[in-house]
Amino acid sequence: MRTVVIEADHLRKSYGDTIAVNDLSFTVTAGEVVGLLGPNGAGKTSTINMLTTLLPIDGGSARVGGCDVATRPRAVRSQIGLAGQTAAADEMLTARENLKLFGRLYKIPKSELLALVDEIIERFRMSDYADRPVSTLSGGQRRRLDIVAALVSNPPALFLDEPTTGLDPRTRNELWETIEDLAAGGTAVVLTTQYLEEADRLADHIVMIDGGRVVARGTPRQLKAQLKRDVLEVHLVSGSDLEGALALIGDMPEVAADRATNELHVPIGDGAGTSLQILRRLDDAGIKIADFQLRRPTLDDVFLTLTGPAAAKGGSE
Amino acid sequence: MSTTIFAPAERPGFAESSFIARVREAMQDTATVTWRDMVRTARQPEMLTFAVVMGVFFLLLFNYVFGGAIGAGTGVDYITFLVPGVLVITALQGAQQTSLGLAADLAEGVADRFRSLPMNQGAVIAGRTVADAARNLAGLILLAMVAMVMGFRFGSLVGGIAAIGLTLAVGFAFSWLGAAIAAKVRNQEMVGMLSMFWLFPLMLASSAFAPPESMPGWLQGFATHQPISVAADAVRSLTSGDPAGGDVLYALAWVVGMLVVFIPLSSRLYRNPG
Ligand SMILES: Nc1ncnc2c1ncn2[C@@H]1O[C@H](COP(=O)(O)OP(=O)(O)OP(=O)(O)O)[C@@H](O)[C@H]1O
Ligand SMILES: [Mg+2]
Repeated sequence: MRTVVIEADHLRKSYGDTIAVNDLSFTVTAGEVVGLLGPNGAGKTSTINMLTTLLPIDGGSARVGGCDVATRPRAVRSQIGLAGQTAAADEMLTARENLKLFGRLYKIPKSELLALVDEIIERFRMSDYADRPVSTLSGGQRRRLDIVAALVSNPPALFLDEPTTGLDPRTRNELWETIEDLAAGGTAVVLTTQYLEEADRLADHIVMIDGGRVVARGTPRQLKAQLKRDVLEVHLVSGSDLEGALALIGDMPEVAADRATNELHVPIGDGAGTSLQILRRLDDAGIKIADFQLRRPTLDDVFLTLTGPAAAKGGSE
Repeated sequence: MSTTIFAPAERPGFAESSFIARVREAMQDTATVTWRDMVRTARQPEMLTFAVVMGVFFLLLFNYVFGGAIGAGTGVDYITFLVPGVLVITALQGAQQTSLGLAADLAEGVADRFRSLPMNQGAVIAGRTVADAARNLAGLILLAMVAMVMGFRFGSLVGGIAAIGLTLAVGFAFSWLGAAIAAKVRNQEMVGMLSMFWLFPLMLASSAFAPPESMPGWLQGFATHQPISVAADAVRSLTSGDPAGGDVLYALAWVVGMLVVFIPLSSRLYRNPG
């Protein structure tokens, strides 16, 4: 069994009347990336801040590396790296000086620190602006510095609150690779993001929250399968076959036909089995198929279905 | 739920360390933060210039404009009376900078970074007060040189060094007061206003520019014993070359008293402003 590095246990946080985090539990093992997903105000930042000792925990408990966050904050801080949602570097120092400052406070030996900072600057392609005051850097350059600052001490637990917001696609890709490398090396990562593509690619496990509560959890694949919203799209060669085809598969619920493009849209719950049946039926009846594809729901579909006002009305989960 | 078996990594600071180790860490972190704040000071030399220019401004204003009127009551050459007072006031302006600097840290978000790091949290304030004391030292030396050009003389070299040292100590104590205000109030504009609120009454109702004997009776008691007056009097006896005694001890008592109150208070407020 992999060791549990980060453990949130029935966490609660409220600000006055606002309940920001409500009974939230999850664990992250070494080498695992857990994505916290949720709309604005869902409680992601509050959760990260509680786990990283920045915010007092109102209820429940949390442990990092086996150390209780509330009672042993000092021990927790020595094991975490944090890139918060808001910039947290010294504006008047250069990027290089910031990294040195944080490295020293992490107690990285002086003899190693300079070389380490040089290497990091090189690796994250920051050389062009490493010696300029942070106040003169672009938004994305600062963001990169913030994230890199969280990595200086190579911590076993890494917390990234919307790390790629404001990064260009190339930098984002590099960061994704970095996170994958770190996870492969055994780092436990908690990541919040608004980019579902990012969660899809990076997260081994997703915890979807809304109004501070968990509304769904699982691997990205499980979440998508759980929606049962695969759609088979069949493109027919001839429009005259459309009526015949509809008659053949009319027993499927909610079949739609697009007369302009000769297309059939067949929602088929899940699985390839049903699609094969449908295609075989059409083929057996001599209907010529130009093209077909099975469209799987995206994480966006999951997100929109399970969170926000629509979900609250539907009373999901 | 799953049980947690996490081999405690041999990370620095993972184990709750001994008292000695914690003190050593506090000193190391203070040195690091001091370095950071001194770099910041060097990047904004106008703060130092401003403090010196203010001091020179006070020297000129009080000496040439009010000197005739006020000086008559002091029994000595007015510049001899004035310079120690202005040195102390200048050190207090350094303390005001501590307040503003800490408020800026809290606003900039770098304070959040510090809070997530395995460091002594008190070092964030301690480092700043030490860096501000270093800047104060530079400002005081520059100001003393201007004062000498204007005709001021230190009674002896040792007395002069002791006078600057005591002034620095007073500024350092007030830095912690400034830090406590910033840690409590946080909002930068409010901190700026509040530091005027304590600085101006203390500065004017004091023996810094004029002997309290010329003030109304109800004010005299306060104006004689409040820390700025005590400090100015002590610095005066050090610069005059007289054997200094009681008033220096009195000033040091104020310094120690303020540090005893404001070091723990500001550290606590910094961690928890509520
Ligand atoms: N300091 C605060 N005082 C009062 N309410 C707060 C405070 N911080 C957060 N909240 C509220 O708590 C809830 C959760 O906020 P949080 O910042 O954790 O959300 P989030 O999921 O990170 O949102 P986003 O995606 O916008 O970053 C929100 O309703 C927010 O308004
Ligand atoms: Mg957030």
